[in-house]
Amino acid sequence: MINLRDKGAEIWERQGRLGRIGIAVGGVAMAAALPFMGGTILNTPIADYESVLVYPIAMYVLMAIGLNIVIGKSGLLDLGYVAFFAIGAYTMGLLGTKTSLNTWEILPIGIAMAMFSGIILGVPALKLRGDYLAIITLGFGEIVRIVALNLGALGRSEGIQGIPTPPGIFGIEYAFDSHRIYFWTLLILILLAIWMVRRLSVRRAGRAWESIRQDEDAAELLGVPTFKYKVWAFVLGASVGGAAGVFYASKTLFIAPDNFTLQISILILACVVFWRYGKYLGCNSRSGNSWLPTGSNSFLIRRPSARVRLGVGNHDESSS
Amino acid sequence: MKFGGVTALNDVTFDVKKQEILGLIGPNGAGKTTVFNVITGVYQITSGEISFDGNSLAGVKRYRITQRGIARTFQNIRLWGDMTALENVLTATDTHKKSGLVSGLFGLPVSRREEKRDKARAQELLDFIGIGEYADRLAKNLPYGVQRRLEIARAMGAEPKLLLLDEPAAGFNPAEKVELAATIRKIRDAGYTVLLIEHDMSLVMKVSDRVVVLDFGQKIADDSPRNVQDDPRVIEAYLGVPEDAS
Repeated sequence: MINLRDKGAEIWERQGRLGRIGIAVGGVAMAAALPFMGGTILNTPIADYESVLVYPIAMYVLMAIGLNIVIGKSGLLDLGYVAFFAIGAYTMGLLGTKTSLNTWEILPIGIAMAMFSGIILGVPALKLRGDYLAIITLGFGEIVRIVALNLGALGRSEGIQGIPTPPGIFGIEYAFDSHRIYFWTLLILILLAIWMVRRLSVRRAGRAWESIRQDEDAAELLGVPTFKYKVWAFVLGASVGGAAGVFYASKTLFIAPDNFTLQISILILACVVFWRYGKYLGCNSRSGNSWLPTGSNSFLIRRPSARVRLGVGNHDESSS
Repeated sequence: MKFGGVTALNDVTFDVKKQEILGLIGPNGAGKTTVFNVITGVYQITSGEISFDGNSLAGVKRYRITQRGIARTFQNIRLWGDMTALENVLTATDTHKKSGLVSGLFGLPVSRREEKRDKARAQELLDFIGIGEYADRLAKNLPYGVQRRLEIARAMGAEPKLLLLDEPAAGFNPAEKVELAATIRKIRDAGYTVLLIEHDMSLVMKVSDRVVVLDFGQKIADDSPRNVQDDPRVIEAYLGVPEDAS
């Protein structure tokens, strides 16, 4: 069987600088052109193609990149990633309806809140390893959902309604049904997240994560402050999840605890695993040779089928 | 050092002098690797004292011990297999970097400068150990002998004053052992202090300036290689005592 991933890596490897830029630009252009591809055929009774591109596809890709820092790079099994998504979304919901702040102003606040909760979870939990860490994070994901379900200020099971859409920026208007605009905005967020991960991969942090994943004791004995970098992995992973959450709330206008179930954590985990522990994101810090652009595209394109396979179509109803 | 009811090390006192090669030998289970684990903070001592450069190491975090200048290799090779040889060494050089995650993310000058400096240093160390040509190969794909030497280069990447080598010659053929002996001397001459655990007596006796012998967790000799070889207690520990003599 031909392995497309390795084939792609090989092609990327052979290119010079110009060729790689070409592939990268081509890849991004292809991703950006997705809304124009095959619209009518792929529409289903419950969701139209373009809105599916925004949620779940682009949203999940973004979160998978975040979770990949934690699982793919550092090897920390986090089963409660949805918590950060929820925290971002509730920050948007609460501040968006109760204050006059708009989405762009809330975005950094939501990211900060998620990062902070990453520290709250990470500092006690990361003293544990392996299965124990997985159980704790699983619990954290549930705690956040159940708190939202029981806290009056967060609307209990009714959730928060009437969350404002993002205001226009640079002359681009965000109507609630202009899916393409949302998709492209998410694409920018995705590219930013990829930039962050790739940047770190070839530096000290990337090596620290990589060494922790492969042999944590050896890493510690050779001078890697493992605990600190594990917390950083959690915090950065959380920041991406928080950003996705803010944007999600602002797009769907309505959030409730039911949107943040364990199922999402598992789904994002599945994305990372399908992605084979994130080799794509320059995770093998090896001379920065990752061929991410092609990787993310095939991922974007593959996603719909993965969605069907995992039977998660029901989430579309709340988004469209 | 005790594990539950088992006393693994008892009343073992020795010091390592600057720029010497100290051989640490003893029969299997004598507690040699435990000494290493105690020094590097893998185990916390139950009683006694370890100090380095005049500061106590008891209760110091493991990576901080490395920062203070002690680095080790592992008896069973524990390289990071999915990283290249160069990256393995580079990760150890990160020990003394000032720049961290944030300056790396934004590509601040300090981060770039250190990255460049340490890359050169890592390559230099690989060349020093004699495996420079393997720099870009994944550690897991390297031949066994090269992996062993890469362990040493990686430990040196942390710029230690005291280098702990845990059976660096395990599995080497005689020719490789001779080569290794030369390398260890070269390391000492470059200004490092070496504490060496090794089972191969000819190698230990050839390179060590001084030898400490452990048996059942106790020190039974601490002398020059020549004297240790003639020490009746050492011979007894290794070979046993003839029945009529006891």
